[in-house]
Amino acid sequence: MKFTSKTPHYEYLKNKWTLRHRAIQNKFWEKHGQSLKHLALGSLGGLMLLSSPSPQQLPSHEFKVSRDDILKGYDQNVLLAQALSDKIPKEVRPLDSQEERDIINILSRNFGFRVKSEIDNIRLNRNYGLIGGEQHLYRYPGDNLYAHADTSSDFAKYGDAGIAPGLGAWGYFAPSKQEFSEIDKMRERYYLAVQTFLAPGFAENFGKFRDFFKFRKMLVVNPSTGQAVVATVGDAGPADWTGKHLGGSPEVMDALGLATGPRKGPVLYFFIDDPEDKIPLGPVKVKEEA
Amino acid sequence: MKQQFYTHLIEIESIIIELDKLDLSQEQKIHLTGLIDSSLHHTILDAVLSELSDSDKRVFLNNLKEDDHSKIWKFLNEKVDNIEEKIKKTADDLKSEIHQDLKEAKQR
Repeated sequence: MKFTSKTPHYEYLKNKWTLRHRAIQNKFWEKHGQSLKHLALGSLGGLMLLSSPSPQQLPSHEFKVSRDDILKGYDQNVLLAQALSDKIPKEVRPLDSQEERDIINILSRNFGFRVKSEIDNIRLNRNYGLIGGEQHLYRYPGDNLYAHADTSSDFAKYGDAGIAPGLGAWGYFAPSKQEFSEIDKMRERYYLAVQTFLAPGFAENFGKFRDFFKFRKMLVVNPSTGQAVVATVGDAGPADWTGKHLGGSPEVMDALGLATGPRKGPVLYFFIDDPEDKIPLGPVKVKEEA
Repeated sequence: MKQQFYTHLIEIESIIIELDKLDLSQEQKIHLTGLIDSSLHHTILDAVLSELSDSDKRVFLNNLKEDDHSKIWKFLNEKVDNIEEKIKKTADDLKSEIHQDLKEAKQR
């Protein structure tokens, strides 16, 4: 009787690439280990772990590479979750003005920048609601899903979300591939869909609101874990009937610890007062002295 | 995974397109792509360090630790001729092997 693997592609690549990876690492340490071991860097091992996935530590084939950064966010921001726990309403509803003030103060203090519920007399319909996972967006004409990944691990983590068939509310992030810049890439990577159309005054001030919300920087916080991300408004939605109040890109959901299971959960979301555009997009940690 | 100082030089789209054609679970994809990224990372660091003196290695690694990409590139461009081309060539050689493996895996 001939036994065959159910996943021959995987077995073949796993064996071959594990061997090659080991050989590359051995060669690296043989060549550079002696001269590097005296360097005052803590340890190069620590450096490598910080900057590169470490599949050699995987017990056969588990998730450790992908979930590692989520756990880091959880560890750092857990005190924020504790501080928010008695300020957050038990049910997911709009905050009252006192709750809003208290939470804005907590978030501004913890992250070291000013968050606001209102800028230029414009506010959203709510600042506490259910976020759901969105797909990637086309960033420039001719873009495709595979081009979204910076590394092959990115593809494994975020590729399955797919790409939305239509464009975001403001069209492409860049007019062409040649003009596509790092900031455009980050805006799509960390984009939100918010219910701009439900913002008070939207219908009467369509042009003003459209321009105000385009790539508006926001802080989104998972109050259960304290995980947080700085993102930009890249789309309008979701529709009111969905029961969700905003949407997050695959990377936003990952940063919030909501990328698995039902891919939704309650979050706080506020504008960031950053007129000089100094606050970078992406996962954000609580300040140590907060 | 965070962006590395060399990310903009390395085209990995062709690899993930081929990988996506295989019937792999999410866990399997994560494991295999982790191996690719780590192999590329070690190979590129090896290529860079091999061009530097011991004292320059120290400066480079400190810059790497600070994750300051513009500082890294300024330093490398001062110390090594055509460093971008060397990194690209190193990555391309490894990618060719990976493509060959993917081709062979499909025949299984």
